Amino acid sequence: MSAFGYLFVKEARQFKSNPFMPVVLILLPLLLMLVVPLAANMEVRDVRLSIVDRDRSTMSTQLIDRISRSGYFVFSSYEDSYEDAMEQLSKGRADIIMEIPEGAERSVGNGENVEILIAANAVNNTKGTMGGGYLSSIVTDYSAELSGSSGLETSSPLTIIPQYRYNPHLEYKLFMVPALMIVVIILVGGFFPTLSIVSEKENGTIEQINVSPVRKRDFILSKVVFYGILGIFAFTLAIVIAHFVYGLASHGGLLEIYVSSMIFLVFMGGFGLIISNYSETMLQSVFLMLFFVLIFMLMSGIFTPVSSMETWSQYVTYILPTRYFVNILRAVCLKGSSFSDLTFDFVMLSVFAVVINIFAVVTYKKQS
Amino acid sequence: MMDKGHVIEVEHLTKRFGDFTAVDDISFHVSRGEIFGFLGANGAGKTTAMRMLTGLSFPTSGKGIVAGFDIWTQSELIKKHIGYMSQKFALYGDLTVQDNLELFAGIYGVSRRDAGQRIDELLGRLSLSHERGSLVKDLPQGWKQKLAFSVSIIHKPEIVFLDEPTGGVDPAARRQFWELIYEAVDEGITAFVTTHYMDEAEYCNRISMMVDGRIDALDSPAALKARYGAGSIAEVFDILARGAVRSE
Repeated sequence: MSAFGYLFVKEARQFKSNPFMPVVLILLPLLLMLVVPLAANMEVRDVRLSIVDRDRSTMSTQLIDRISRSGYFVFSSYEDSYEDAMEQLSKGRADIIMEIPEGAERSVGNGENVEILIAANAVNNTKGTMGGGYLSSIVTDYSAELSGSSGLETSSPLTIIPQYRYNPHLEYKLFMVPALMIVVIILVGGFFPTLSIVSEKENGTIEQINVSPVRKRDFILSKVVFYGILGIFAFTLAIVIAHFVYGLASHGGLLEIYVSSMIFLVFMGGFGLIISNYSETMLQSVFLMLFFVLIFMLMSGIFTPVSSMETWSQYVTYILPTRYFVNILRAVCLKGSSFSDLTFDFVMLSVFAVVINIFAVVTYKKQS
Repeated sequence: MMDKGHVIEVEHLTKRFGDFTAVDDISFHVSRGEIFGFLGANGAGKTTAMRMLTGLSFPTSGKGIVAGFDIWTQSELIKKHIGYMSQKFALYGDLTVQDNLELFAGIYGVSRRDAGQRIDELLGRLSLSHERGSLVKDLPQGWKQKLAFSVSIIHKPEIVFLDEPTGGVDPAARRQFWELIYEAVDEGITAFVTTHYMDEAEYCNRISMMVDGRIDALDSPAALKARYGAGSIAEVFDILARGAVRSE
């Protein structure tokens, strides 16, 4: 067995005898994947609506009726003027105001445009914007129906089926679950090797290694490979949960997913080791790692699409390897892309992985 | 340039940290098979000097040859031929006694079969065979030190560097530890030992006395006592250390 082999076995034995880390390895994907999507639910219900119906016509009654049947709203008050409704909003008794102008029904009958005002309180951003979104969809829907029918005597208004277009519950999980899988891989791949090497520094064991003829690359590689395998394990757990709990099915091949995850884990491992090369204590390394992990998570399209970022920050994402990894996973899962479609992303990810690990070996000094 | 009988040769070795000169122009040699005592008060520069000889840090200036290799350019080759036991316990506490021995035997390229024999032999010497499967962190301090010593000679190095190996243990355990050093020397290993226990100096073939980063005296214990007209090495040390600027 080579020095690498002995060091690899050593990592495995240390991990096994650690009472804490194996539990973290299993609990981290379990909790992230099972609890977060339920707790961080962005579905909005019971939006309080204050209505100013200045038309008081058949049409406005039908519209209000339809809104009430959508199930998303509760009518907090009916006001005579916009100012009164505004007061409700400012006192926090309503989330959204809807004002139907006088003569709306007549105008529609004459084929004119009617402007319905929707004012949302954006202090609670989610409730305001999402509620406003539902409301406008219902109104749009209703108006499409009106214009589609010949006269105003549409006695049986069609029911709204909001599931496909308006069910954010389902959409949200589709969006959230893959993002959490990436978070799992970033956390396991980044923190585990960093903590392991810094604990060697704190315990002084690294000195016994430094005074031995072990090659730097063997020492670094033993950590990257071992913790990479743990990362793949945690990732697999996340995939299984995504499939069986959330019914998430990938359109593409598992091979693409696993190859990209492995390359990404090699990158994260090397990156973690560089951080530990520059940290003397656990605390230092954890803060440094956290700083970069947050940037990786917030700026790589995991939670917010890169295309909706400022132009300058879109350029920044090109130097973040997470961008390519997220790209690959999304493309494979959603579009069923394969290696040939994603050559650029795979090449970039590999370049980052190799360069960062060379840098890790160079910055690790056995001799001061 | 190197004398065949010398395993360490040092000329004008100096190490500075900023304005502070930790090791100030020291020159000495160590012969094959001897026990060389490296004495001095805390902060005299013993550990710094040892770290340069073991390839853990670069000197600021000066020359040094250890086990036939240059400390400037061949530190990784030096590491193959030496053993090192640091002042701070540096074995893996979360691994068993057996695992630690196997790991370091493997790292130093001892073959699997030889390693098995060597581990049995060393554990026998320490009467630690029954603790093979114990986690190292659960062992008492004295046993930990003996184990660390065994790890440092597992590959039968030419020289073993021991940095304050008996710190914090009782006199009986210290005597036992020195018996281990003698056994290693009988195997042909040269021992380079730092200590600040002056009674231990008597166990060495030759000792050097470091004061404020310089070597102020170097000879056999008997010769030193005679030269300074002292009854013990401790007295010799007191005479030399009187001039010290750096206090403990």
